[in-house]
Amino acid sequence: MARKIQWTDIARGTLHAVLTLLVICAICALIVTYVIRLQSTFWQSMVFSICIGGATMLLIRAGYALIWRYAKPSNWGMALLIAVATPLGFMLGSVTASRLLHLPVDDFGLRHLHANAGLVILTVLASVFSTWFFWTQARLQRLNATTAAIEQRATKARLQMLQAQIEPHMLFNTLANLQGLIALDPIRAQRLLDQLIVYLRSTLSSSRVETTTLAQEFELMQAYLEVMSVRMGTRLHYTLELPPALRSIALPPMLLQPLVENAIKHGVEPNIAGGSITVRAGQHGERLMLTVSDTGRGLEAAPIEPSGQLGVANVKERLQMLYQDRATFSLLPNTPSGAVAQITLPLLP
Amino acid sequence: MIPTRALIAEDEPVLAQILQQSLQRLWPTLEIVAVVDNGVAAVEQTLKLLPQIVFLDIKMPGQSGLDAARELAEEWPEQVVFPLLVFVTAYEQFALEAFDHAAVDYLCKPISDERLAKTVERLRARAAQPGGELERAIQQLRSLMPTSPTPQARLTLLRAAVGNQIRMIPIADVVYFEATDKYVRVVTADAESLIRLSLKELLAQLDPEQFWQIHRGTVVNTANIILAQRDDLGKLSLRLRNRPELLRVSRVYAHLFRQM
Repeated sequence: MARKIQWTDIARGTLHAVLTLLVICAICALIVTYVIRLQSTFWQSMVFSICIGGATMLLIRAGYALIWRYAKPSNWGMALLIAVATPLGFMLGSVTASRLLHLPVDDFGLRHLHANAGLVILTVLASVFSTWFFWTQARLQRLNATTAAIEQRATKARLQMLQAQIEPHMLFNTLANLQGLIALDPIRAQRLLDQLIVYLRSTLSSSRVETTTLAQEFELMQAYLEVMSVRMGTRLHYTLELPPALRSIALPPMLLQPLVENAIKHGVEPNIAGGSITVRAGQHGERLMLTVSDTGRGLEAAPIEPSGQLGVANVKERLQMLYQDRATFSLLPNTPSGAVAQITLPLLP
Repeated sequence: MIPTRALIAEDEPVLAQILQQSLQRLWPTLEIVAVVDNGVAAVEQTLKLLPQIVFLDIKMPGQSGLDAARELAEEWPEQVVFPLLVFVTAYEQFALEAFDHAAVDYLCKPISDERLAKTVERLRARAAQPGGELERAIQQLRSLMPTSPTPQARLTLLRAAVGNQIRMIPIADVVYFEATDKYVRVVTADAESLIRLSLKELLAQLDPEQFWQIHRGTVVNTANIILAQRDDLGKLSLRLRNRPELLRVSRVYAHLFRQM
């Protein structure tokens, strides 16, 4: 996943790091002044502490960026980096601090090392702690960002699925038919309403469940196709073929349904003569084969409008997400006219 | 008195039947001369039967109700009063709000009896005093024409099939485009070739200053127009540079050639 550099985030991160460093340095300066009791005031210790801490942190960060290029480092590698960077940072920092405070520069601060082992231990502890602290913080931030991105994508996909399914156009046209049939033929109106209820209930619930069965999926398609054939009259014929042995096979919801709606919307419905739709489930060895074929306008008249591509793109994306390379999808011309969409899946997921 | 005659174009049989029944109830003297189920038959039957009112479903097989209306406006015979149009739609009402209180009306599905009664009232008043329908309809339709809302990448070079070869045609060399069944004919000064695109898709990729649509099926390169002229019947056509033929301008686009 490509992450974009946000300058405001970097500025906020740096400010946060500097403040944290100041707090750690203040604690170190307090320890040096009042616990180890070096011959220095608190403010002198603070300057030394900031210089040493800053130099060490810069060295560790630079080393990390250069060696691992912001990828995850190994624990041993990180320990080695700290072991090298800490004495270097100690020397650089104490020289700088001495210069700043106009104190004599003693052999790169090495005399301090002889003078007090406590200082060395303190510096090492401080740098291990800071590194661990910054590292954990960065990891937490990355985790949060990734989680947010995943959630956002999932929500978007669910919404798209719902929008692709229950189109206002489909709903209002069906309601208009219902209204008409109540006056013309109440018994057919009742049947249409029953099918519409099945369609709405399963469409709404399938956006929430992870898996469904072929039997349920075929019931949903039957309801949808029944609604459409009331609306389209003799212009639509359909056949559903589900072998009894495959009825309880589990599969993700909304893989077949968008293909059936595509076949209606772009194949049969815009065709003056109408057409027929066949949905078939079959087993080929260890694989499940699902086919939606129609005799409509065909792929040459395929829509440029995004709504037509959305259904197919959605199915492809979900197959890739759920099965990686173990599923296939194809959309080919039918003979003599129309289109055939086919999905193959492993029978045992 | 001759009864008012209406045609219904609606692809869903139940909706066509219920609209017919409701109209008969609300306007008993209205004669429904035909009920058709696609946009192509809608134009054919309307031109043949010349009704005073046409109910057009927006989403129909063949062609949309809006395209059918545009074709009617182009092909309507001069001496007959243009029909009052009522668009019927399930969801695109936002696109049709321009029609409210206009020469043309619209209805949303499911159609309520009250709303239909209002439309019938308007239609009755209009049908009693005909005049100016065509001009009003053309103006309304013009406002609905796609004005290429998202400027796509402009085409500079066409790749057109001529037999087994692909000919490269600079866009400036094109004199005009003409829509045929599935293709668009590309006409240059000395050759003709075909590209597989609809005129709509092509228009979205052309510079609207350089290329003008002058008819449902014709787009002309303005650099090649010499003059616009009216014949004895008042029909407008263009004479072109480098091409002998005259190009018809439909009345929907006639406003492009009014003098400054």
